[in-house]
Amino acid sequence: MMVELLFLIPLLPLASALFIMVAGDAVPRRVLTTMAAGAVGIAAALTIWMWPLAADGARATLYTWIESGPLQIPVQILFSRLSATMTLMVTGVSFLIHVYAVSYLHQERDLRRFFSLFNLFVGAMLVIVLADNLLLLFLGWEGVGFCSYALIGYWYRNPEFADAGRKAFLTTRAADVLFGIALLWLFQLTGSLSITAINQQAVMLPSGSVTAVALLLAAGACGKSAQLPFSSWLPDAMAGPTPVSALIHAATMVTAGVYLLCRLFPLISLSPTALAAIGLTGAATAFYAAASALVQRDIKRLLAYSTISQVGYMFLAVGAGTVTGAMFHLLTHAFFKSLMFMAAGLVIHLAGGEQDLYRLGQLPKRAPVLFWLMLAGAVALAGVPPSSGFFSKDAILAACFARATPYWTGLGGLGLLAAFLTALYALRLVYLLIAAPMDLPSHGQAPLGKTWPLLPLSLLALTAGLLNVPHTLGGTALLDQWLSAPTGIAPARRMEWGLAVATCLLVMAAWQLIRNWRRSAPVFTVGGCTRFFASGWRLDKMIRAVLTVPFRNTGRWLQRCPEKWLTLVLPGRLGRWSQNAGQAFRHVTSGHVSDYLSAMLWGTAWLLIMLTALLAL
Amino acid sequence: MMVPLGHVVTLAGLLFTAGLLGVLLRRNLIMILIGVEIMLNAAGIVLVGASAYWRHPAGQLFALLLMPVAAAEVTVALALVIYLKRSRGTLDVNRFDGMKG
Repeated sequence: MMVELLFLIPLLPLASALFIMVAGDAVPRRVLTTMAAGAVGIAAALTIWMWPLAADGARATLYTWIESGPLQIPVQILFSRLSATMTLMVTGVSFLIHVYAVSYLHQERDLRRFFSLFNLFVGAMLVIVLADNLLLLFLGWEGVGFCSYALIGYWYRNPEFADAGRKAFLTTRAADVLFGIALLWLFQLTGSLSITAINQQAVMLPSGSVTAVALLLAAGACGKSAQLPFSSWLPDAMAGPTPVSALIHAATMVTAGVYLLCRLFPLISLSPTALAAIGLTGAATAFYAAASALVQRDIKRLLAYSTISQVGYMFLAVGAGTVTGAMFHLLTHAFFKSLMFMAAGLVIHLAGGEQDLYRLGQLPKRAPVLFWLMLAGAVALAGVPPSSGFFSKDAILAACFARATPYWTGLGGLGLLAAFLTALYALRLVYLLIAAPMDLPSHGQAPLGKTWPLLPLSLLALTAGLLNVPHTLGGTALLDQWLSAPTGIAPARRMEWGLAVATCLLVMAAWQLIRNWRRSAPVFTVGGCTRFFASGWRLDKMIRAVLTVPFRNTGRWLQRCPEKWLTLVLPGRLGRWSQNAGQAFRHVTSGHVSDYLSAMLWGTAWLLIMLTALLAL
Repeated sequence: MMVPLGHVVTLAGLLFTAGLLGVLLRRNLIMILIGVEIMLNAAGIVLVGASAYWRHPAGQLFALLLMPVAAAEVTVALALVIYLKRSRGTLDVNRFDGMKG
């Protein structure tokens, strides 16, 4: 098996993107869509075919991208157990979402733009996943950022949607600056940008620098993964078409931050401060977004907040030291969240574009298959045993509690509280889909052709947890063995069971609450509290007050004072001054030959005197 | 008997000063040209005197070179003088102030 064939995995979607970009309008739509989905499908098949290589980690170099003194940037990919797992998830889920998008967007006019960007996104994402060099990874990192921006603003004629794209772009870019600083710092410290080399040398680095670099990397990851305080772009990013939300803003791109931290875990784990900060960010975000999701009206915004919250769990896992836990939750979340997004998209289509949860009810009657699919996703999200979310969330919380310090127990408690809220909002979503009135004209049945990509995902959402049932619960911990990555401190048998029971109880409590609530009619109450949580804890307003307004005022002041002075007043004065000087000096040139001659005489005399003086010295 | 070098240099200096003053003070273009010629010949005298003093022929060669150069210069200059007289109607240099700033 040729190792170089690994390059086909990212290059196939990239080549397809290029082709669609250039010649998309010249080929029939059917060819275009088949090509877009096919390229990703082949990449997925290739990943499976190459899978045996990952056991020992395969490395392939295409060519040297940048070579300047000690700076060596080879275009090199590393097909390790970690990256292969991620590659398989990305290509597999992307393929299903591509297939879904083909039927979902069949009425769209500008398919060429959509699918070229969609394929470009997959290619860039695979570059992130497979790159063994931080600069190459950064290239993919910015690539997915650009695609995200362009696809959020896909319907750019609506200024609000275009603004949402810009917001996402600017927010993530702000975090990327910190990531870039970390990159340069790492190069300065280790003289290399290869992830493998950095991880190997990490032990020898001064601990202060390691902490600073790890914090900068975590901040960069927070931007991409919509963690506090960079989280406010993700709910607005729902302006894009639903396949975009499913692929970019649920399954793949927003988890890239977590993946980055997992790849660089040997470095990050050397700094307890950074781990504590990452854990705190994760737990706080998980709770913050779960509370916000609880009162959302818009089905897609609810799912967006849910994504933020779930990615928070992954950060908590990295902080608690369990890379396996983070990757496990990353995988299960990708399955059930993309499933829920795609189902939500079909629900919205069925209601003719309505996104208000309180008007999307009676789903079991209108589209039973769709309802069951949505239920499968919600069950996994809520963490109902034995669905995938139950096991992956429990693993993370167990890793927190196993550290047995007050700090981590507190974070675990916060995570548990967020788990309760998660169950609550997931069941609320299901309940509203059942009970809310449906007064909209029906737009026909959901065609089965659109739902089939959801079936494998729903199966995975329900059963993927069995991949990694811990030994204490009588499982085989397959993923632990395969990844052979740090799993944190192993929790005691009693704690594992206690946690599982606690989670079950929480889910049941949430179910009871929702059942009680169900007796009253589903009416959206607009209290101050609801409004506070629905607006994401007023995060946007806070950012506006703390960042945007001062920035704008500073800009205005700079425009009014220094800019005006430097570009208008000062150059004007300088110009006038030199003009006056010229006017004064023009009288020197009298035009009389004798004046010039005497000037020449005096000049020569002065020169001679100077020369004499020099010679005399 | 040799003429002492000091005398030669003094004569040349006096001649050069006379020529320079003529160039600076006269207003008539022809007189200025005469001043230039006197300065050139002062230089020639120094060259010949020095050649005799050091017994080296280079100075005399230079003096010989100086004569045709001076003649050529005067030829061109006089042509210009005639042109100026025709076009401007005067030879007063203070009237030629086309370069006034």
